[in-house]
Amino acid sequence: MTPRERADRRRGLLLMAPTLTILAVVTVYPGVWVLWLSLQHRVPVFGVERFAGASHYVFLASDPRFWNAAWTTAVFTVVSVALELVLGVLVALSLAGLARGRHLAFSLLLLAWAMPAVVTAKLFEWLYHPAAGLLNFLLGGRGLNWLGDPSLALPAVILADVWRSLPFVAVLAYARLLSIPAELFEAAHVDGAGRLATFAHVTLPLLRRILAIAVLFRTLDALRAFDIMFVLTGGGPAGTTETLTVYAYRGLFQMLQLGFGSAVGVVVFALVMAVAWAYLRLLRAEESRA
Amino acid sequence: MTRGTAAPVALLLASALLAAGCTERAPDAEAVTLVLKHARILGPADPFPGLLREFESAHPGVRVRSESLPWSSDEQHQFYVVNLEGRSLGFDVMMLDVIWVPEFARAGWLLDLTDRVRPEELAGYFPSTVAAATWSGRVWAFPWNMNVGLLYYRTDLLAKHGFRPPATWEALVDQVRQIRASERDPTLEGYLWQGKQYEGMVVNVLEALWAHGTGVLGDDGTAFPEPARAAEALAFLRRLIATGVSPPWTTAADEELTRRAFGDGHAIFLRNWPYVLDLLEAPGSRVRGRVGIAPLPGAVGGAGAGSTGGSHLGIARGTAHADLALALVRFLTSERAERAMATGAALYPTLTALYHDPALVARNPWLPRLRDLMLAGRPRPVTPSYLLLSTTLQPELSAVLVGLKPPERAILDARRRLDYFLASRR
Repeated sequence: MTPRERADRRRGLLLMAPTLTILAVVTVYPGVWVLWLSLQHRVPVFGVERFAGASHYVFLASDPRFWNAAWTTAVFTVVSVALELVLGVLVALSLAGLARGRHLAFSLLLLAWAMPAVVTAKLFEWLYHPAAGLLNFLLGGRGLNWLGDPSLALPAVILADVWRSLPFVAVLAYARLLSIPAELFEAAHVDGAGRLATFAHVTLPLLRRILAIAVLFRTLDALRAFDIMFVLTGGGPAGTTETLTVYAYRGLFQMLQLGFGSAVGVVVFALVMAVAWAYLRLLRAEESRA
Repeated sequence: MTRGTAAPVALLLASALLAAGCTERAPDAEAVTLVLKHARILGPADPFPGLLREFESAHPGVRVRSESLPWSSDEQHQFYVVNLEGRSLGFDVMMLDVIWVPEFARAGWLLDLTDRVRPEELAGYFPSTVAAATWSGRVWAFPWNMNVGLLYYRTDLLAKHGFRPPATWEALVDQVRQIRASERDPTLEGYLWQGKQYEGMVVNVLEALWAHGTGVLGDDGTAFPEPARAAEALAFLRRLIATGVSPPWTTAADEELTRRAFGDGHAIFLRNWPYVLDLLEAPGSRVRGRVGIAPLPGAVGGAGAGSTGGSHLGIARGTAHADLALALVRFLTSERAERAMATGAALYPTLTALYHDPALVARNPWLPRLRDLMLAGRPRPVTPSYLLLSTTLQPELSAVLVGLKPPERAILDARRRLDYFLASRR
C-alpha cells in the first residue's frame, strides 16, 4: 500500500466514523440489551428483576405456541415470497409488453406498494367480510369464513401481503427489463427461439441477479412480518396466523414479560441474520462462478 | 381542538406574547399545564373541549392539554407501558381501560388516592366500577364511563312467535330454532357474539363461564378453578357455532361486525355493549323501534350476567401537580361533567343517579333499564395479571371455538403456560 493509499483509507474511515457510531448506537446497543434482557426474569409490574439464565429458551423449546408461531412464520415467508416472485415477474413482463397505458399501470402498482400495511389490512378486512365482502360476492355468494376458519386465515393473510409487496418485485424486474438491449431479443428471434425459449434463455438469466436481491429483501421483511396479521386477525383463529414477531409483541407489551418477550425477539433476530448470511453466501458463490 | 376555538386561542397566545414583551415577566409564567391522555371520544357532539375550558376558568393559571391516545386498546396499553416504564412522563391524568387499573397500580405507575378520597365520595358510582378501581384495599382511580354486556333481541320477531326474552341459554337456542324454521329466511342468523381471537372474545367466554356457575380465576389465583364446569361452558359456545345457532364467521367477529349484521336486520339475537343501542335506534337504522335489551341468559348452575367494562381516570404517580390533577379527575367524573358526556358523546355515566335524571331520560328512555342491567354486571377478574391471563388464554379459547381443540385439552394447555409465567413472579 502506498502512503497515498494509506492516507485515503484513513480519510475514508474518518468519513465513515459518524455513520458507524450511529449504527452502533441504534443497532448494536439495543441488540446487546435485548440479548441481556432475554437472560432475565424481568416483570416490571411485579418488580421482578433477576437472572434467569437460559430458562426462557428452555421453555420456548417445548412451547407449542412458539413452535406454532415459528411454523406460521416459515409458511408465510416461503409462500408469500414465492408468489411475489412469480407474479412480480409476470406483472413486469406484461408491463413491458404494454403498448399504451404503461404509466397508469405503473402508478397503480406503486399505489399498492406505497400504502401503509395497516391500511392494506383494513382494506382486506372489508374484502374478506363474510356477508358484504367483495371476495365472497365474486365467489358467487358463498359465505367463506376467510378470517375465522383456521385453514383459510393464513392464506388470506398471505394474499393480502402478496398484493401489497408484489409491486416491489415487479418494479425491480421491470427496471431491469428496460435495460436489456433489444438486440438480444432480436438475435434470439433470428435464431428461431420461441417466446418461452427467449424467456428461459435470455430474459430470466438477465433478471436473475436483481431477483436474487428482491428475494433477499422480501424474505427478511416477511420473516419480521407483523402489521398485516396483527390488524387482520390479531394472530387468530387458534393462533394460526400468529408469527414470531406477533408472539414477541404479545410477550413484551401485553404480558409485560420483558425477559421472555426479548427471548422470542432474539430468536427472530437470529433467524433473520442466519437467512441473510446464507443468501449473501449464495450470491457471492454465484458471482464468482459468473 | 375544533376550528371554532383555534382562532381565539391563537389570539390569546399572541396577546400573551405581546404582554411578555412589554412587561418584565409574563403574568402567567407560573402557569401550570396539566396533560390529559384519553382515547378519542366518539359521538354526535364532543362535549370534551367545553368541559376542559370550564375547568380552566374555575382554576386560573391552569391549562389543560388533552392528547389523544392511539386508536386501538392494544396500542394505548403499549403507549402507557413504554412511557411509564421509561419514566418519560409527558402526562398527569390518564384514561385507563378498567382492566389495566390493578396492573398499573401494582407496577407503581398510579398515584394512590386512598388518603385523598373520602369513602362516601365513591358511593354514587356503580359498585362494580369502584371494585375495579380498588386493588389491594386501596383506591387508584375514579370510574369515568360504564359498559356492560347486554343481550339485544328483535322485539318484532319474538312477539310474532309469542316469545319473551330468553332467561336461559337453552330457551335462546330453542327460540332461534323455532323462529328460523318458520321465517324461512336463509340470511337470518340466530345469535351473534364476538369470537375473534382478542380481548372481546375473552369477555364472551367469561360471561359463558359465569352462566355455568364458574369463573376463569379462583380465589387462590388458579386458572379455571373448576375445569369440568369450564369445559362445559366452552363446549356450549362451540356448540352454538357447530349447530348453526351462531354463524361460522363468529370466529372472526368483533363488536362492529356483529353490530352491523344485527343492524341490517340479519339476526334475532346479539350480544354487545350499550353503545350499539344509539346506532340501532338512530334514524335510518333498519331495525329502529324493533330492538329490545335483556340480561344475558343463565344456564344450569348460574344466572346470566354481563361483563362490565369502561374506563377510569387515574393520576400518574410522577406528576408534579397531584392536587390539581385530582381536581381535574373529580371534575370530569362529577355529575355535571358526566351529564355533559352522556348528552354529547356515546358514553354511559358511572354515576347511578344520572340514569334517572329527567333530562337525560327524556333523550334516552333506555337509561332506567340500563341502570338495572349495569347494576347486575360483573367485573372481569381484578388482578394485575389480567392481561397476561387474557393473552395466554386467547389462542387456546379460539382453538376451542373453531373446533381444533377439545375444551379439556385447551384448559390444560392454558394452565401449563400460565404456571410458567406466574412462577417467575415469586
